[in-house]
Amino acid sequence: MSAPDNRIEITNLVVDYGEVRAVDDVSLAVGRGELVTLLGPSGCGKTTTLRAVAGLEDPTGGSIKLNGVAVFSAADRRNTPAEKRGVSMVFQSYAIWPHMTVFENVAYGLRVRKMSNADIASNVARVLDLVQMSEYADRPSSKLSGGQQQRVAVARAIAFSPDVLLFDEPLSNLDAKLRVSMRVELRELQKRLGITALYVTHDQEEALAISDRVIVMNAGKIEQIGTPEEIYRHPRSLFVADFVGNANIFPGQANFGRGADGTIAFTTADGTHLRAISPDPARATGTNVAIQAAYVDILPTSRTDAPNATQGKIHRRMFHGDFIQYVIDWPAGQIIVRRPPTDIFDEGADVTISFAPEHCVLL
Amino acid sequence: MKSATTAPPAQAGGASFQPPDPRGPDRKLGRFLVVPGILLSIGLLVAYPVFFLVVESFNLGDSGVFPPQEIGIGNYIGMIEDAKVLWNTAFVAGISTIMAVGIGLLLAWILTRTAIPGRQRLERLMELPYYMTPLVGALAWGVLASPKTGLLNQVGRAFGATGDILNIYSPWGIAWVMALFEGTVAFVMISAAMKSMDPSMEESARVLGAGKFRVALTVTLPMILPGILSATVFVFAEMLSAFAAAFVLGIPARFVVVTTAIWQSTTAYPPEYGRAAAMGLCLFVVLAGAIGLSRFILRNGSYATITGKAFRPRPLRLGRRAWPMVTVCWVYLTLSVFLPIGALLLTSFQKFATVIVGDMIFTTDNYAAVLHQGTVATALKNSLFLGVIVATIGSLLVGVLVWIIFRSRAPGRGLVEYVVMFPQAVPRLVFGLGLLWAWLIIPIPIYGTLWVLGLAYLTVLLPLGVRTLAGVVLQIDKSLEECARVCGASWAHQMRTVTLPLMRPGIVAAWLLIFISAVRELGASIFLMGPHSKVIGPAIVDAWITASTELSAAMALVQTAAVFIAVIFLFRVTRRYSGEPA
Repeated sequence: MSAPDNRIEITNLVVDYGEVRAVDDVSLAVGRGELVTLLGPSGCGKTTTLRAVAGLEDPTGGSIKLNGVAVFSAADRRNTPAEKRGVSMVFQSYAIWPHMTVFENVAYGLRVRKMSNADIASNVARVLDLVQMSEYADRPSSKLSGGQQQRVAVARAIAFSPDVLLFDEPLSNLDAKLRVSMRVELRELQKRLGITALYVTHDQEEALAISDRVIVMNAGKIEQIGTPEEIYRHPRSLFVADFVGNANIFPGQANFGRGADGTIAFTTADGTHLRAISPDPARATGTNVAIQAAYVDILPTSRTDAPNATQGKIHRRMFHGDFIQYVIDWPAGQIIVRRPPTDIFDEGADVTISFAPEHCVLL
Repeated sequence: MKSATTAPPAQAGGASFQPPDPRGPDRKLGRFLVVPGILLSIGLLVAYPVFFLVVESFNLGDSGVFPPQEIGIGNYIGMIEDAKVLWNTAFVAGISTIMAVGIGLLLAWILTRTAIPGRQRLERLMELPYYMTPLVGALAWGVLASPKTGLLNQVGRAFGATGDILNIYSPWGIAWVMALFEGTVAFVMISAAMKSMDPSMEESARVLGAGKFRVALTVTLPMILPGILSATVFVFAEMLSAFAAAFVLGIPARFVVVTTAIWQSTTAYPPEYGRAAAMGLCLFVVLAGAIGLSRFILRNGSYATITGKAFRPRPLRLGRRAWPMVTVCWVYLTLSVFLPIGALLLTSFQKFATVIVGDMIFTTDNYAAVLHQGTVATALKNSLFLGVIVATIGSLLVGVLVWIIFRSRAPGRGLVEYVVMFPQAVPRLVFGLGLLWAWLIIPIPIYGTLWVLGLAYLTVLLPLGVRTLAGVVLQIDKSLEECARVCGASWAHQMRTVTLPLMRPGIVAAWLLIFISAVRELGASIFLMGPHSKVIGPAIVDAWITASTELSAAMALVQTAAVFIAVIFLFRVTRRYSGEPA
């Protein structure tokens, strides 16, 4: 039933908090060496799912397998305690023990495993070196900055070479600049050591950047599973389109079926005709289209031959540095467009906006 | 009890699946043993005396007979005749509350909102009056300001005053002494409210164009008002149930309040236990209501404490004007700590207390009596012994209780908290009164032994210990424990390596506070002390009534010394802990 390469396999997981169903029939699998992100707004059940894998929550139903072995199974009444699961976890608050030195924090999991002192010393030195914290080994851990605590937490989590590493919003307490550089480091470390990881975040940019696959969750259920590109390009639900990236969403009707080129005719509420595609090959109907702001072109008014070419007028221009964001009035209302900082149009200018049908996703 | 109703379906039904708890034995044990056991034993310790109190208050017949032969509400109706006592109580509690809150407010403002030199050390020293105990304070102020012999009055006459400047044996004297020692409680509560206010609230009002005065009136005051009100109600409740000052300073002036009336009823011949019980119960109801009200105000009226985060508002720079503020703090400390201790010291080394240098006859006889004379020395030894035993058992018990209440998921843990905290709503004196009958009537021969005192101390001091430790435990992030489990530690290993080390400062603080409170205990002890189980608090009162001021001064100082030694340790422990970021 379970593929041998799946390190984590969750089937029909249900977690209840009293009357509230926090996780509702969630199934997913994480392969060897893969980093999978659970992405969603707060309260969507992502952290609860992660904690259930760690053994810190008592699920109501379903099963969890680690390396093909059931650690939780409602049917078999099995619930392996957290300390016997062989997983490791980086907590949102870092959970660095203030009464121990950096060395003792990192050595904790090794001491529990009754490793010899020499092995402990070499292992701690190795992982502290990996996170560039070697010179802090003898510091009392209460004297560390947030970023340093983060590194120690990661070192501690990987020190005993766990099968699976769980991350609970590990970067959310860092400031923006540090968050981006730590993201790169974490991904680097995970790839280099071939760590299997389940990663929870509410930051969609972080999820897209760091993951092999992203699982978008909402209200306890999985909305979509896919590679970052799939999730970004072809959201399968209004929720995913709205939550991931910066999509424009326009309501309307698609009722003419699929055309010869595979695209679908869509009429927005105001009567603008667009060519769209459906992320689901079996479905050619829908009441909304989603268009990511980055996929929209701004062209001179003369370019009426471009795909989905529509006349518009620049309403507002905002310079962001890495890109320019335009708010453009067009027949269907206002559309937000992100262009490279070299594409400069003046406010009030008449333009043609254009986007490929495969970037106009029917929902 | 709650657990008993939830357990059977899971066991008997079999259909409803309960996964084993990964968090340790708390759930299994809690369900079957620990929680019901705690509820039962502590519930009994508290409810049993209160039950006797209720029954006795309706007893119109012979108070020594149980169950009562004659039942009626005569004891309650009789209280109408005691209207004078009730008025006295309200009067003294009223003025002393106003004075105490005034002191607290002034000190809180100075120490949290202004930049005065040595602010941190002063803030620490402000706790000292709390540890002085009202009994010691009342004795000392009796020595200082009694008519004729009072040291201050003697000084006054030496400078040509005719008659007495001060008379401490008066309602105002009682209120003054109570306010001095309760002022620090008001200070702690009000400064907590002030510290919990985000300074950006005031800053934004300033930025929007409001002047300092307008900001104080429209932003600061509304924000801290619930804290002040809550402190006022709480302090008033404490004043109503205060005994020591009203006893030492009120009895000689034939000025009786509820607590001293209860004491008088029990020592009268024949004892009027029914009257005492009825008054005690009414006092208990008022106190419980007031504590409830105080919490309600704080919880529902307060905007500032929602985050529970402490802020350090930018203190007002006063420059030269800081010195009057510093002086206010030192004057308060002098009146409440240094002057009383000085007066007691001077008195305790004399044969007859006087400030006229020529008349002074110095002696160490009083201390010799405290340390060697049979009953007095025994009382001191008993108190220290009880303090150590109760603090040791108490702090271990508190550790278990706090862990169950705040860390386990045992069913019924909310009820445990309620039951454990209940004794703080019962005035000590009334609780002692209830225990008096409870143990007199029960056929277990522990009345008049240290056992009764130990049990009583444990029951009334548990809330203090739980509050102290809970403050520490609530600051321990739960993920610190979870992380240990995920790292592979068993529950026991996690407790040993993570939880207990983090709780240790709290447990030590709880030990010291329980020890201090046990050594200075008076209210509950005064009814429970037997001829063979004397303790220092009531013994000081005895010495003051029957022997000399000089001897009781020496005893009070020895008691204070024992308390202050523990306080020094307490300060060291709490400072070391607060030095660590949470």
